[in-house]
Amino acid sequence: MGIMNYFKSVPTMTAEEVRQALAEKHPGEYNLVDVRQPKEYERDHIPGAKLIPLAELKERLAEIDPQKPTIMY
Amino acid sequence: MLLSSGMQNVYNMEGGIRAWQGFVAHGPPEAGMAYFSPAANIEEIVGLAWSLEEGSKSFYQGVVNHFAEDKEAQEMFGWLVSAENNHEKHLLETYEALTGVRPDLDKLRDKFRDSVSGAVMEGGVQVKEALAWMEGKGVSESLEMAMAMEVNAFDLYIKMSRMTEDSQARQIFEKLSEEEQLHLEKLADLLESRS
Repeated sequence: MGIMNYFKSVPTMTAEEVRQALAEKHPGEYNLVDVRQPKEYERDHIPGAKLIPLAELKERLAEIDPQKPTIMY
Repeated sequence: MLLSSGMQNVYNMEGGIRAWQGFVAHGPPEAGMAYFSPAANIEEIVGLAWSLEEGSKSFYQGVVNHFAEDKEAQEMFGWLVSAENNHEKHLLETYEALTGVRPDLDKLRDKFRDSVSGAVMEGGVQVKEALAWMEGKGVSESLEMAMAMEVNAFDLYIKMSRMTEDSQARQIFEKLSEEEQLHLEKLADLLESRS
């Protein structure tokens, strides 16, 4: 782990690309994580999204299967 | 943070939920899970799902009766009634494929009479309340409401398919979520054709 990791940014997907990916895949084939707050999740969320608020992400990494692609919003 | 923990294939969705153009669900993470305990056996799951579908069917039939003068509404909501019948049929077929037997619907009806018994529709709303709400509303609003209920059911079934440990139960939930997805796409088409 070195200095280059500081410059790594998370790749992005457009909402349309995500929508297509979700439509094509089985729910068990990906992780979909909503990193907002509970109230925001309650108001609106993508069906099937798991709520892990950003502040809790570090402690709850085990809930995200590293073998599968992960989409966050 | 996810990348530094060694995870591969992590993507951020540009624009967040505001950019999202698809179906949107509402409610807290555990919404609907009171009905479906992860430990329920598949007969119970089928019974509950079937009961919710009966509820949705009553709601749609109520809407058909309400918009008696509107031919298009009759067609749309009539289609929704028959879609629920198909869901139920597929649900029972999936159960039979997994277990080799048909579920005993009379037994299930008795078992769930106190808790659900078709008085609640998919999305978790009481059918009576949904019909009362619909009284002053138009066809498009009723379609939107139907969609909101169906999306919440979709959301629930996806989550349950991931949570459940039993592989047969998972297959039932996957079947349910696939049916909901098709149903939602059709509802979205109906809404668009109406606008």
